[in-house]
Amino acid sequence: MKPTLSLGIWLLILALCTGCVVLGKNTEYQPFDPALLEPLLPGQSKAADVCKVLGAPSQVVELSNGNAYVYQRSVIKGTGVWLVLVSFLNGEEQHDRVVFFFDKNDLLTHYGMSLNAAKASYGFPF
Amino acid sequence: MASRSKLIATLAFFLMPLLLPGCITYQLLGGVEGGEVAYPSDRLVAGKTTLGEVLVLLGAPDKVERVEGGDLLIYQRAVLKRNQLSVGIPLAEFWRPGIDLAAYGALVRYDRLVLLFTPEGILSGAAYEKSSDHPYWKAMTSNS
Repeated sequence: MKPTLSLGIWLLILALCTGCVVLGKNTEYQPFDPALLEPLLPGQSKAADVCKVLGAPSQVVELSNGNAYVYQRSVIKGTGVWLVLVSFLNGEEQHDRVVFFFDKNDLLTHYGMSLNAAKASYGFPF
Repeated sequence: MASRSKLIATLAFFLMPLLLPGCITYQLLGGVEGGEVAYPSDRLVAGKTTLGEVLVLLGAPDKVERVEGGDLLIYQRAVLKRNQLSVGIPLAEFWRPGIDLAAYGALVRYDRLVLLFTPEGILSGAAYEKSSDHPYWKAMTSNS
């Protein structure tokens, strides 16, 4: 390979690889500890018991036969890569969420839990 | 002489990327919110499956809403993709109007499972949509 061509290719590679990478993470509150939920029993626990263990809910929804208390924590992970002409940005948001269902007497009837916040990951948008 | 112009052409080709930043940029943006949404249709039977069984099966819903005649549980995942191509010549120092062209297409696709329950907590209906597999370019180029 001719020296000029070789130099040119190295210059091109150097130029195209110039850029920066950013990794960011945003966490909203702390993750749930499933062990905290063990004393909460459907048919026995009241809304006040749930609030005593988990604190104030993120959201309260009035339902046709009672209320739902929603507890949510979020993790967002973002990745950014800026090259000379091209940039890639990616974000992933996952949640830990527990929803408690209460009847009209504030008695816990059911609850459902999804723990996905730890699954948020860095990556590329392709 | 020929070799000199060839050298200039070669250098111009390789140095062009150094001069282009700020003139041409391509940006690809992606985003995901929420986990995978499953639809175990064989285990969701209207008139039979209870709210408690759904919560054990699918976990906490993303949204809970009250509607006329019952309650909705919504499980949802959103997938965003955005492409942007910008072409501009930074002449603001010399000519205020400048030249700047940009084109972008953003698409948010949803996987969504909506479950309707009676006030007694019995499943009365279900609707499922999975659009995250829909091709980006097909969606961007269609008129619908």
